[in-house]
Amino acid sequence: MIAQRGKVRVITGNAAAAYGAMLCRPDVATSYPITPMSEVAEQLSSFRANGLLDTEMVEVEGENSAMNVVAGASMAGGRVFTATSSWGLSFMYDAVQHAAGFRAPIVMVIANRESPGILAVSGGQQDIISVRDTGWIQLIVEEGQEILDTIIMAYRLAEDHDIQLPVMVNYDGFYLSYMATGIEIPEQADVDAFLAPLKRQPPRQVLEPGVALGCGTHGIELGFVELRYRQCVALERAADKLDEIDRNFGEYFGRSYGGQTDEYRMDDAEIVVVASGGAAGTARVVIDAKREEGVKVGLLKLRMFRPFPRRRLAEALKGRKAIGVIDRSVGFGWNCGPMYMELRALTPEIGIVPMLSYIDGLANLDITIPHIARVVDEVNAAAQGKPYQEVTWIPLEQ
Amino acid sequence: MTQQKKKPKVFEYFRETKDPYAGGLAWCAGCTLELTARFVPKVLGKDIVLVGCPGCSAPVFYGQNLGTWHRMSYFSALMTGVASSATGISRYYRKAGRDVTVVCFTGDGCSADVGFQPLSGAAERNEHIIYITYDNEGYMNTGYQRSSTTPLGASTSTTPAGAASRGKPTSAKNVPLLMAMQGAAYVATATLSHLDDFAKKLAKAREKVKEGFVYIHVFAPCVMGWRIEPDASIEICRMAVRANYFPLWEAENGRFRLTHEVASPRPVAEFLKPVRKFSHLKEAEIVEFQEMVDQRYAVIKKLCAVE
Amino acid sequence: MAIKHKFIFPREGAWSDGREQLLCLDTGSWRVVRPVLDKEKCNYCSLCALYCPPQCLKDMDDHYAPDLAFCKGCGICARECPRGAISMVPEGEFVDDSSAR
Repeated sequence: MIAQRGKVRVITGNAAAAYGAMLCRPDVATSYPITPMSEVAEQLSSFRANGLLDTEMVEVEGENSAMNVVAGASMAGGRVFTATSSWGLSFMYDAVQHAAGFRAPIVMVIANRESPGILAVSGGQQDIISVRDTGWIQLIVEEGQEILDTIIMAYRLAEDHDIQLPVMVNYDGFYLSYMATGIEIPEQADVDAFLAPLKRQPPRQVLEPGVALGCGTHGIELGFVELRYRQCVALERAADKLDEIDRNFGEYFGRSYGGQTDEYRMDDAEIVVVASGGAAGTARVVIDAKREEGVKVGLLKLRMFRPFPRRRLAEALKGRKAIGVIDRSVGFGWNCGPMYMELRALTPEIGIVPMLSYIDGLANLDITIPHIARVVDEVNAAAQGKPYQEVTWIPLEQ
Repeated sequence: MTQQKKKPKVFEYFRETKDPYAGGLAWCAGCTLELTARFVPKVLGKDIVLVGCPGCSAPVFYGQNLGTWHRMSYFSALMTGVASSATGISRYYRKAGRDVTVVCFTGDGCSADVGFQPLSGAAERNEHIIYITYDNEGYMNTGYQRSSTTPLGASTSTTPAGAASRGKPTSAKNVPLLMAMQGAAYVATATLSHLDDFAKKLAKAREKVKEGFVYIHVFAPCVMGWRIEPDASIEICRMAVRANYFPLWEAENGRFRLTHEVASPRPVAEFLKPVRKFSHLKEAEIVEFQEMVDQRYAVIKKLCAVE
Repeated sequence: MAIKHKFIFPREGAWSDGREQLLCLDTGSWRVVRPVLDKEKCNYCSLCALYCPPQCLKDMDDHYAPDLAFCKGCGICARECPRGAISMVPEGEFVDDSSAR
């Protein structure tokens, strides 16, 4: 480890996000309040007001503008940051797609909350699912330190010359957003050094006043197809790139998170629980307890949702006897969890094994230790050939 | 040959004499948007960063794959994101210490309707942007549908005059007045018949944008959508000014001033006559239209009297 | 996948590039009438050139001449000329083709 030890502060997840952004020195940042991330905007404004943040903060009149402002600033050449949640994300949907098409290296944090459809001021991952086809890189973190660290890594990823794609860093609204834990704030010089390799890469194309370059050309026939293809291929490259960056981060700061996925006690695991976000932390506790009982269970924490880390997942899940997937969201049209749905698509690579979908943690209902224990038990039973229920909505069966 | 006149004053405002566009562009014969588009960089300069969106300007401003019809730096926003994208671009350049003029160029469909929220937001935050609207009173590129600047009684493809309809039942939104009420640094109305006035306002815009938000609303008749003769478009602008239907005014930090006071205003019926989107209007409706014009003009006059 | 398509865009991102060639339409082929100037009546007031939407009236020092490659034949120059020095004449009356010299 090369970086100095940073100061440890007891701060909320939202504040950690604000610190992460501040350390990366964005040129332009936007803020619009929405529960549960308003504190991110407040913190950044406070940093700025106290001379700690030399960023053009734009207090926009709506989230749609929040995204367009950073997209414009990004394509003019700036490093940018914004934050939102559920409804705000829906409101900026056109701009979110547009930004990915531009290949603008925006970093946005989302404090996950139930998406529109049914009014809810409560946590869930439906907002992640609602934007999975926008062309953005989507990362999901488990706890406060990981929020701050992943933001730094997100800039390294987004602005990488091979990638040039916007990144969403997702963390559980209400749980992580408001929970205060001890978080080590890296030193500014160390963050600068970690992001410095970007300066040594060829510069990306940006607006040049007086030069005849148009940002956002009309894609016509094969031109359009080519641009789409390049978007998709760049997204694919982001998977291995994240692993590399995570390794570098670990070498430099002494903390690493596994990149695309994080595996816990997977080496000899016969059955696997797949989870993301804060639930992964709870799952670790259950895994340890079940291991004590002799159950050979492991946890696969999904950190990267887009691009979907299919190769990594296929390697990790191959040869297991049964898999349980915990989704904090629903998959409309399939009536099962969305992450479960995508994992099912790996059946050709991993073989036909019982895969069980668990929908839990909607609307701020906790994903508890007993819930996950039940998941392990049922997956275990399925592994032994006993009949099982494919899809379970845990809250409704309580 | 008769004695040569001195060249009109408007030429003095040109920073560039050559416009940065290709010779042949896909705008209708007689299109006032074409004249506006070619005119603006002559006064504002070619090194502006232009932000636009879908509409009649898009087929010319947008590239087509790698190709493009003009040599300006251009950013294509969505209709919902023009003033906001421009805000981001403008803020970045300020942060980077670069003196760049960011110019939004959209139709009324964006400014008055779907792009109004970000426009209002940018004006309220006093962003350093010049926002130019070409007001052809409707969504022309998509087939002449009505917008909120379509005037009372106009027959459009979504408010067609017919057995059960008299055209658009409501009056137009006065966007430049709304911008002035927001306290923008500089707001002005302009049109293509009065090019000296327009050039002067654009030159002023370039200065005032250093203080904050600038909004210019250009009355730009649409040959196709309004059903006017291609050679009449400039004359229609002139008639609109002469009838006080489109008064030429400016507001600098909230202080209003008519830049062209019409000594003897013409009856608005003269303006309505050659514009066939109004051809179904009856006597009583034209009277109502005149009342609306008079009342709106009276408001502007009152505002000009405020010290 | 065997990609046969030869990539158009030189870099990532949807950028158009007008630094060399510009796209250009043959708008001169649109018109059915063309402006003809009576030089005797012209006093070089420049209004025709100012009001021409495609800005295709070329400055000839003492009058303006239309660039026939781009003139769409809208007739604004003729209508706006304060001295009535320009007439719009049907294309059929001209034997030469409409391209600029």
